[in-house]
Amino acid sequence: MKKLSIALLFLATACTKQLDKEPQGSVFTGSLQTPENTDAMVIAAYSALGNDHWSTPYTTMWAYGSVRGGDAYKGGAGTGDQPDVDAYEQFSSNRVDIGESDGTWYRLYIGVARCNTALQLIEAMDPSAYPQQTQRLAEVRFLRAHFYFILKVLFNHIPWIDETIPKPEYDTISNRSFSSDELWSKIADDFRFAADNLPVTQTQAGRVTKGAAQAYLAKTLLYQAYTQDDNNNVTGTNQTLLAQVNTLCDSVINSGQYSLFADFADNFLSQFDNGPESVFAIQFSKADQTPEGRVDAGAGLDYPMDAEYGCCGFHQPSYDLVNAFQTGSDGLPLLDTYNGSNVAGAGDFKTSTFDPRLDHTVAIPGHPYKYQHNLIFQSAYCRDPATYNGFMSLKEVVAYNDPTFVKYPPFMSSSKNWQVIRYADVLLMKAEALIEMGQQDLALPLINQVRTRAAASTALLTQPDGSATSNYGMTTYQPGVNCTWTQDYARKALRFERRLEFAMEGYHFFDLVRWGVAADVINTYFATEKGRTPHLGSAHFTKNRDEYLPIPQNQINYSKGLYKQNPGW
Amino acid sequence: MLGCLILLLPNIHAQSRPVTGTVTDEDGKPLAGATVQVNGTKTTVTTDDQGRFSIEAVKGQTLKISFVGDQPMEILVGNKTVYSVQLKAQAGNMNEVVITGYTAEKKKDLTGAVSVVKMSEIQNIPDGNPVKALQGRVPGMTVTSDGSLNGAVTVRMRGQTTLNISSDPLYIIDGIPTQRGLQEINQDDVESIQVLKDASAATIYGSRAAAGVVIVTTKSGKNGVKHIDFDASTSLQLYTTKIHVLNTEQHAKAYWQAVVNDDRFGPNVSNPYDPSVTNGIFTYDWNHDYTNPVLNKINIPEYIDAAHTMKASNTNWFNEVSHPSILQQYNLSLSNGTANGTSFLSVSYRDDQGIIKKTRSQKVTVRANLDYNFFNGRLKVGEDLTGSYFKDAQLPIGDIVSLSIIENPVIPVHTVDGGWGGPVAGMDDRHNPVRLIYDNDQNNNNFARVLSSTYAQLELLPGLRFKTAFDVDYAGDYYRSLLKPYQSGFLSSTITQVGTSFDYQGSLTWQNLLTYDVRFHQHSLNLLAGQEYIDNHNQNFNGSAQGLALADINYAYLSEGTSNILVNGGGEADALLSYFGKANYSYQDKYLLSATLRRDGSSKFGSNNRYAYFPAASLGWRISQEKFMLGTAKVLSDLKLRASWGQTGNQSIPAYATYSLYQSIYATDLTWGQSAGSAYDINGAGTGTLPSGFTSTQTGNPDLKWETTTQTNVGIDFGLFNNALTGAADAYVKKTTNILLNPPYLGVLGEGGNEWINGASLENKGIELSLSYTKSLSRDLTLTVSGNIAHNALKITYLPNDAIIGYPGNGTTYTIIGHSPNTYFGWVAQGIFKTEDEVNNSATQPGKGLGRIRYADLNNDGVVDNNDQEYIGKADPDFTYGLNTTIRFKDFDFAFFFQGVKGGLVSNGFKYLTDFTSQAPGSNWGSRVLSAWTPENPGSNIPALTMTNNNNEGRSSTYYLESGSYLKLRNVELGYNLKNALSRYKFYKARIYVQAANLLRFKSKSFTGPDPEIPGSAYPIPLIATLGVNLTF
Repeated sequence: MKKLSIALLFLATACTKQLDKEPQGSVFTGSLQTPENTDAMVIAAYSALGNDHWSTPYTTMWAYGSVRGGDAYKGGAGTGDQPDVDAYEQFSSNRVDIGESDGTWYRLYIGVARCNTALQLIEAMDPSAYPQQTQRLAEVRFLRAHFYFILKVLFNHIPWIDETIPKPEYDTISNRSFSSDELWSKIADDFRFAADNLPVTQTQAGRVTKGAAQAYLAKTLLYQAYTQDDNNNVTGTNQTLLAQVNTLCDSVINSGQYSLFADFADNFLSQFDNGPESVFAIQFSKADQTPEGRVDAGAGLDYPMDAEYGCCGFHQPSYDLVNAFQTGSDGLPLLDTYNGSNVAGAGDFKTSTFDPRLDHTVAIPGHPYKYQHNLIFQSAYCRDPATYNGFMSLKEVVAYNDPTFVKYPPFMSSSKNWQVIRYADVLLMKAEALIEMGQQDLALPLINQVRTRAAASTALLTQPDGSATSNYGMTTYQPGVNCTWTQDYARKALRFERRLEFAMEGYHFFDLVRWGVAADVINTYFATEKGRTPHLGSAHFTKNRDEYLPIPQNQINYSKGLYKQNPGW
Repeated sequence: MLGCLILLLPNIHAQSRPVTGTVTDEDGKPLAGATVQVNGTKTTVTTDDQGRFSIEAVKGQTLKISFVGDQPMEILVGNKTVYSVQLKAQAGNMNEVVITGYTAEKKKDLTGAVSVVKMSEIQNIPDGNPVKALQGRVPGMTVTSDGSLNGAVTVRMRGQTTLNISSDPLYIIDGIPTQRGLQEINQDDVESIQVLKDASAATIYGSRAAAGVVIVTTKSGKNGVKHIDFDASTSLQLYTTKIHVLNTEQHAKAYWQAVVNDDRFGPNVSNPYDPSVTNGIFTYDWNHDYTNPVLNKINIPEYIDAAHTMKASNTNWFNEVSHPSILQQYNLSLSNGTANGTSFLSVSYRDDQGIIKKTRSQKVTVRANLDYNFFNGRLKVGEDLTGSYFKDAQLPIGDIVSLSIIENPVIPVHTVDGGWGGPVAGMDDRHNPVRLIYDNDQNNNNFARVLSSTYAQLELLPGLRFKTAFDVDYAGDYYRSLLKPYQSGFLSSTITQVGTSFDYQGSLTWQNLLTYDVRFHQHSLNLLAGQEYIDNHNQNFNGSAQGLALADINYAYLSEGTSNILVNGGGEADALLSYFGKANYSYQDKYLLSATLRRDGSSKFGSNNRYAYFPAASLGWRISQEKFMLGTAKVLSDLKLRASWGQTGNQSIPAYATYSLYQSIYATDLTWGQSAGSAYDINGAGTGTLPSGFTSTQTGNPDLKWETTTQTNVGIDFGLFNNALTGAADAYVKKTTNILLNPPYLGVLGEGGNEWINGASLENKGIELSLSYTKSLSRDLTLTVSGNIAHNALKITYLPNDAIIGYPGNGTTYTIIGHSPNTYFGWVAQGIFKTEDEVNNSATQPGKGLGRIRYADLNNDGVVDNNDQEYIGKADPDFTYGLNTTIRFKDFDFAFFFQGVKGGLVSNGFKYLTDFTSQAPGSNWGSRVLSAWTPENPGSNIPALTMTNNNNEGRSSTYYLESGSYLKLRNVELGYNLKNALSRYKFYKARIYVQAANLLRFKSKSFTGPDPEIPGSAYPIPLIATLGVNLTF
């Protein structure tokens, strides 16, 4: 017995150590504190830029910016296919508990959290061991500001969390800790730090630059400059901020790093990734040892239904948008009357004249799809033409034979970059600031620079027989010849130009909210568009509510009521 | 008188003659060691290993045959000299031996809540998993599963014991603890199953025992018995729970109705659209009168696609994916026993073709249970070994079953040239389910498990035994799959991909037990001390590669891939170290006392909270043994009161929950979900190996500790009328505290915000009753009826603030505290708006209109919104019950078993498709849509058809909650004992039977789906009709 007891005792002590089981295949927070791992965490923050998905498309922003802005219909198979986006499109059926809003909120905060983790690591490094410290800080603060920018334009009142706040205190940070204006300033601070500390060029094309930071800071200040009251009404413009926008844009323009592509099309062709017009672009890749490639999955529903592609027919240009590309005999857009006759519905692109950007932006039945002479687009390539008409979107997609094209059934996309800010935007932001400062004459050449390039971008727009795809005809604004360039007229021209230049790029809705005209423009759009398509029967934009998505009910619940809902919801 | 008797004796003796016979058990197996006694004499013999006896008796005398655990039987010696006697198991037998935690006790000595499963009742049920057959057999134990082959089975003992982690019971298979369930155990090998429900019984198993313990003992050879068993059965399986879906014509009509409704009182009233224009396939000949629309004719085109490859069809997808199928089972076992040792060997084969085409599952098990005795039995060395191998078809079953509901009937299975039919423009991007079946036909998972217990038991002193056992449990999967390219409507893929994965889960257990049994005077004491170490570890790796030259499974190996070559792998390990002791004491077999203490250590907790103590104590009083009860002994044959209290633990969280961890996640599949990777093309090269970072995967909680369940149980066991009627009743309160939770978290935390915490408390309260009655109505006719009923009420009694929102409710005015976690939260549907007046005079409700569901404005603020939700019902049933009846008449036996659930609401997931055209407008729908409300059909309560779900009718509401009550005839079996008919052959047992499972199904009228037992889309539970034979040589 004694021997046995001793044996058991021995066994017991021997086994105690057996309860120490080290985690397998993981690292602890402490192990990340090396220069290599800190740099790797910066990469992880960059990675969040492109960890996009069709269910939460925060890269192309098609659901939030194009569909809500009246540029596009949701598309797909009827209103019940991706019903959350249908609710965005109709506004009247949007709700506080829509899963996509909650998902997008969470995904964007994943980006913020990765940035904050990286910032903590970078700040804790000894500069002698980590000479890139300041530049990495600048890069990551840029990225954080980018995620916050999107959150801001989507949800307006958001909790601001930076690397100084310990995680256990996150649940004490309200979405009203800062005012809307203070939030803009916070975002601007990050971009300003980035602009002050980033190099003009980077050897690694994916890293953000001084120019990108200056441009994004200008964009932020431009939004901030239109002051809003608590009910989302625009109450005026902050001239100081507008002046800063102008200066920042000048810095970008004068840096010599950027220029417009000769052809508008190059912005949307994969072989021109990271070209001279690209100020800030999200890098995608394929054949990169990931299951499907790190592709632009936010655009994964946006391909047509023909044999070369096969799914899923979302993001379809509206009649209203297509009509907007019509030009008058003076070569200018029909600023007030563009939507009077539905040339898009008539399908006649040969009688009137059109801005060439139409065929770079919209896939039109009978016109080559993405410049492919052997793929003439048909309305049958749309998923549900009976509900959503027969157009598709072109900018985010690639030709089926493009080397960046990837199928991951049933979806598909490409590793073509997505430009968040391109040089044309810098020009038009400067023009907008100048107009709002009453210096519209200085804005004129900027707008015309964009128009001149557009007018010249017809080389690829041909039918198989070599003829022009549509009847193109556009010119610049020529005061005294085809217009009278007042501040009001310039403002109207600038706003129209932004819509045409950035159509389907996810900008338009946010532009409308910034200018304070969303309710009027969207409800006017609905009034006309309702008669052209069966799916907008109950669509309505509620002023002082629909300018922003509601704070997701889940987040209000998780915060136990600390987060306050947006007005009107 | 005495003299006369003495004088007569020789005379009697002179007339005595040898009476011989065979004694068999209930199943017809020979009983060795049964006692045969001439009543009133000392003449006693015992049966030999083939159940034979020979005894001197005279005509008119009575032979009393008895065997431990069986009802004694008396036969009158008549003219015959050969008798065959079949003993029946004694109902509620108090001497039955029950395994209760490392040791065995007699049932009469039990003080805990223990249920013993009658294996004879479930022997031939072809479920392929002994646990499935227990559904409804054990009060307080619920078993739920769908019909899938080797599918998951959920077992809940006395309700749900915890929240986020496993509430599965602990299984002890021949002493080896496992939580894998019993699907890998050959049902024919099982000797007994015992279910420990209360803490006093389960505490000895401490960790992991909080949700109850199921103890399975497999067969072993018996001393002096040698026989061969052969069982074979063949079953036909049928799909009986299909949903009524629309055919092509009906589908086209429903679409027309929906569009016309939208045009005349729906969202398009100002701009009506002709359904002929909006439907991509059908055109309609109708009167275009919106006040009285009449559909004359539906024009179905010859082809549904522009390329004319797919003819418009009328496909019944259910019929295309399912078939009546065959299930075969064979089992052969041999057993032998001598004083020096016993052996039991078996091999079984099961082949289930599945009622969904190509879902075949094949299963082979082998078993060898051996033991050897040395030193006059003082040393016993043995080995229980089983191996199993499964080959299971790997089809996307959930997809196939749901696709057979939603795939459009107009789509043909095949194109005109033999390719696959598929969706065309305007339809959902759903796969052709038949293609999914055939394109995955080559993919099988190979699973193998070895479960082995090697033990030695030494009697050190009389009554003092030491046992050591080393158990090995290894299970592994090898799966090689081929993804083929396809073209199916607008869905297509050019990818040819091979995937190969391997994983194993290993568990090593070392147990050391010291037991001491002693009796002195009227005191009986059993002591147990033990120690147990369990080491669990698992690893997995998988790879995939694309670009195979051939889409052939024989070619599909990783080496043949040329592009997108990916590898992944991981591993995990944990360990448990435990010490335990138990003392059972009884005085005069009347007063019973038991105490247990277990100390468990788990590697999953930090060193500060690694160990916890789990105590238990119980008392029993056999009132029937008291002198004052002698007067009632004729009626009340047995009566015992029991009371117990004890604690058990739970630690089934991931192995490393105490640590904050980052992982190098390069990328994840982004087809259906967000990429969670951390790689980025920072060089802008567009391709190549990317730099990558780390991703936060969890927030660690170093203070995690054991979850504890405290259970109090009082019970009564009774036997009436010489134990013809026996029963047990138990009442319990089970409280779980420090529940391990992984609550959802605030979005700003980002990824890795998930953190395990100890928080919630749960309470289960319940009562259980089981009764069994056996009556011999005549010599040839015996009736046994046994039934059980159980009620359990569950509620959350405490939740930390951080976790409240993870449960139904809004987190502020409605919190789940005080409610069952299985409570539904949502809106109250108050029928549908049938007149304009009703629409106009109701609260503001976005999307309301004629034919739409009206939701209650619960807070009377004039607006129906998020604040108008409340708790609208719960899923927990009021009670569960089972009733088994066995009738034996001569050589026939007949048994039927009903099982049911009463109360509780299920969310009928099919209703989204059977009652709406708007929730999945590109799908097919259920036939109920044809009777939806229209102004012309004002009596209907199904919402008007619409193509646009503006009223958000998919929201959680009472519209979807339906009665979950059901009663099923789970099993009915008729057997015939051929032994007499085949008496010239040397069978010890020969029985043929026919059996049917799930033959009848009763459900509440308010449940509009096919089967409330599986209210969502799942592998249907088939009707199984079986013909089988049990032979023993």
